Amino acid sequence: MTRPPNENLPTIKLVVVGDGGVGKSAITIQFFQKMFVTDYDPTIEDSYLQHVEVDGQWCILDVLDTAGQEEFSAMREQYMRKGDGFLLVYSVTDKNSYENIIHFHTQILRVKDRDVYPMLLVANKVDLVHLRKITEEQGRELAHKLGIPYIETSAKDPPLNIDATFHEVVRIIRNQPQADLEKRKKKKLQVLNKCVLQ
Amino acid sequence: MNDADSLPTWRLWGEEKTEGALYTVYLKKVRYHRPTKSLSSSSYSDSDDEISHLEWETVRVRFVKAGTLKKLVEALATDDGELETTYINVFLATYRSFSNPKEVLKLLLQRYEELSSPSVNGNSENHDQHRKTLISALHVWLDSYPEDFKEPTHHSTLRQLLQFCEEYLPTTELEAKVRHRLDKYSRETYAESPLTPPPAFAMRSGGNISWKTYRLPEVPVRHFAEQLTRMDMELFKKLVPHQCLGAIWSRRDKSRSHEAATVLATVNQFNAVSFRVISSILVDPQLKANERAQIIVCWIDIAQELRVLKNFSSLKAIISGLQSNPIYRLQKTWQAISKEKIELFDELARIFSEDNNQWAQRELLMREGTAKFADTVGENDKHLQKIFQKQNNHTANISFGTIPYLGTFLTDLTMIDTAIPDTIADGLINFDKRRKEFEVLAQIKLLQGAANAYQLPEDAMFDRWFDSLLVLDDREAYHLTYQIEPSSNSTNTNKVKKKTTGHKKNDSIASNSSSNSSQFYCDFDSTPSSPHNSIDRKLSPSQMSNSSSNSSLPSLDVSLNSSHSSGANNKLQLPSVNAGTLSPNHSLKSSPDFYIIKVTYETDCVETDGIVLYKSIMLSNNERTPQVIRNAMLKLCLEGNPDSYTLAQVLPDKEMVLPSNANVYYAVNTAYNLNFILRPKPSEDPLSAGKHSKSKTKL
Repeated sequence: MTRPPNENLPTIKLVVVGDGGVGKSAITIQFFQKMFVTDYDPTIEDSYLQHVEVDGQWCILDVLDTAGQEEFSAMREQYMRKGDGFLLVYSVTDKNSYENIIHFHTQILRVKDRDVYPMLLVANKVDLVHLRKITEEQGRELAHKLGIPYIETSAKDPPLNIDATFHEVVRIIRNQPQADLEKRKKKKLQVLNKCVLQ
Repeated sequence: MNDADSLPTWRLWGEEKTEGALYTVYLKKVRYHRPTKSLSSSSYSDSDDEISHLEWETVRVRFVKAGTLKKLVEALATDDGELETTYINVFLATYRSFSNPKEVLKLLLQRYEELSSPSVNGNSENHDQHRKTLISALHVWLDSYPEDFKEPTHHSTLRQLLQFCEEYLPTTELEAKVRHRLDKYSRETYAESPLTPPPAFAMRSGGNISWKTYRLPEVPVRHFAEQLTRMDMELFKKLVPHQCLGAIWSRRDKSRSHEAATVLATVNQFNAVSFRVISSILVDPQLKANERAQIIVCWIDIAQELRVLKNFSSLKAIISGLQSNPIYRLQKTWQAISKEKIELFDELARIFSEDNNQWAQRELLMREGTAKFADTVGENDKHLQKIFQKQNNHTANISFGTIPYLGTFLTDLTMIDTAIPDTIADGLINFDKRRKEFEVLAQIKLLQGAANAYQLPEDAMFDRWFDSLLVLDDREAYHLTYQIEPSSNSTNTNKVKKKTTGHKKNDSIASNSSSNSSQFYCDFDSTPSSPHNSIDRKLSPSQMSNSSSNSSLPSLDVSLNSSHSSGANNKLQLPSVNAGTLSPNHSLKSSPDFYIIKVTYETDCVETDGIVLYKSIMLSNNERTPQVIRNAMLKLCLEGNPDSYTLAQVLPDKEMVLPSNANVYYAVNTAYNLNFILRPKPSEDPLSAGKHSKSKTKL
């Protein structure tokens, strides 16, 4: 890996969504900490910021994971609005979490007022082979229905596909059609005129 | 550890391992007056002056880093047998993550018994001190965590402790305390009979306001902010901090949900406020944009008062409500709001910016958490600056508590729980993790203490208003928001329509009807084109949500049992429930109309003299009596069979009982207020009750 360049890098906001208990936080922690440390402090400002190089291009990943706040359902749309891309996480050991993915997907499209948006379906906890209830086939089938890519992960040591997951979302965001980008900019301007946010 | 880094007098020396425990050892430089006896491992003095000069010594300080449960319990006392006061606080606040009250008590008592038996070697005077400390520890535990000893029915842990006291500590203060506690809990068990009335009636008393109530936007905003704060404060004071721990809250399984009941209550109140903000703005689609804007402004004004009151929970709830999609997208409404109010709203919303890991909110809590009043503003917060200036000039002796937004703490604790392992070094309990968690819990406790500073009046009329506000489910909210402002860009709508109907993903889903998720989509293709097609398109996602029975997404699923009336949807997903109330397939499309009706519950069992309690529910144009009754029951927290209730409209001179299968929307008399009474049918003979109601009907 080369060192991150010093000039201004684009910041990409990723939002991690999914039911409580699917291991969202483990994915986020694994990505940011690399190894579990004992003096971890969740309150410092750059806990969830990281420079990453994807396909030779550097960017700053700013990850929002509201693990523990799933039941504050009224504020979900508020933080979804900020995301450039989303990880839709379910646990392969929890059927409900799989079935709920559709709601998150719907809600994101609604908040973004779009038909498609950069998202990645993440099947987590694949290390728990004996407890697995949702097969890879079912996962891929859902991904196909939603029209988004699929990846299997484990945040247990040794981690599986954790970095790949974050890198993949960056790629999806970069590869979205330009027309969409234009439209998004327009939307953002409208919002600015409305002065509701920032 | 941070202490070592921040204090120059602390130095990490290393780790020390004994059987069943791992310690972190620090060398600490301390100042002391000339010692009476030498304890220090190394010391030096600047001067020989015996009277006033300080001297320094280095002491060795040991912290348990990890240990077996037995060792952790033993560590409540130092080697000399003194109570480790900081340690016991951390231990008692966090031990439920790795143990339970029964197990800890057993070990404590075992330790006491060991120390009492002569066979243990060592000096007995030291043992006396250790035993005294164990008794102090039990006192601290009983005083600070009484709920640990409150078990359903038998209180077996407390009984075990009593038995121990009778044997080892008869007629001591501890025995008296335990005995008293046990008496009290036993009495409470008897008093809490299962005959308590439904919650809607439990706490209401006094007042004889009939249909009179507050009406937005003409409400006293400061008073409203105070009332919301009173509700939040009561919940916050009752919050049991250790229920926020990752091991308890974020790994919750449904069967153990009672273990985090106080956290859940806080979350529910937050959502309740947000949903009421949303529904109050949408509920009357006939309002003009500027009238609707006035309601938003009213909420912004309430939010501003909440900021002054340092109630960040309801403040965030209101901001979230205003930023929820059904409200946020109402461009015409927002355009009718003055620039100043929008700027104020932005300033308030900035508090909860996610940027830099919630830095703004954390910083604010740090500064104002235990301060008497709010006075922290950002450079760009010109409106808040003025507000605080005005406030702080006026009242010299104001003093407010602080109510935090709990979610940030819950995420921090979830992250700590994820990032730091429960056990280290061959299965020893990682106590350093608990220290880290305690830093967060201690903050919550500090704020709970500060919350006592609030002096807030109680207004029962506010509570009734709050309870009676209609809460729209997701589907209804979208229905209304698109009725109020259809998708602004018509070409865009067409595009969406076309795209969706012909969309590849829908086809593939529709064809795949055997899988579980496919039913989400099943009525997509049956949707005929109609003038309201764009609305339907927007609605379909939430129809999907109706079909999943076990969802944990409350905002999407509140509609599950309430008022979904789209025939197609019901037919497909809830055949058993709604078979008798089916209406034709066209329901959703034919008309977006609906009424808001107020339903009062009347029963002989509960004393409701002088109180009229009602709940507002939404009545769509194809809902039949059983469905409306079911909706009303849900709002009124009633359980049971809808068939055992009757619903009647209150008219000036009589009541009109609705026939059991009427289309209520068309049956109601709209010339009068839409006030209804829900009554249980006389229990003896359901058939005659039915006849009775028919005879009264004018239909």
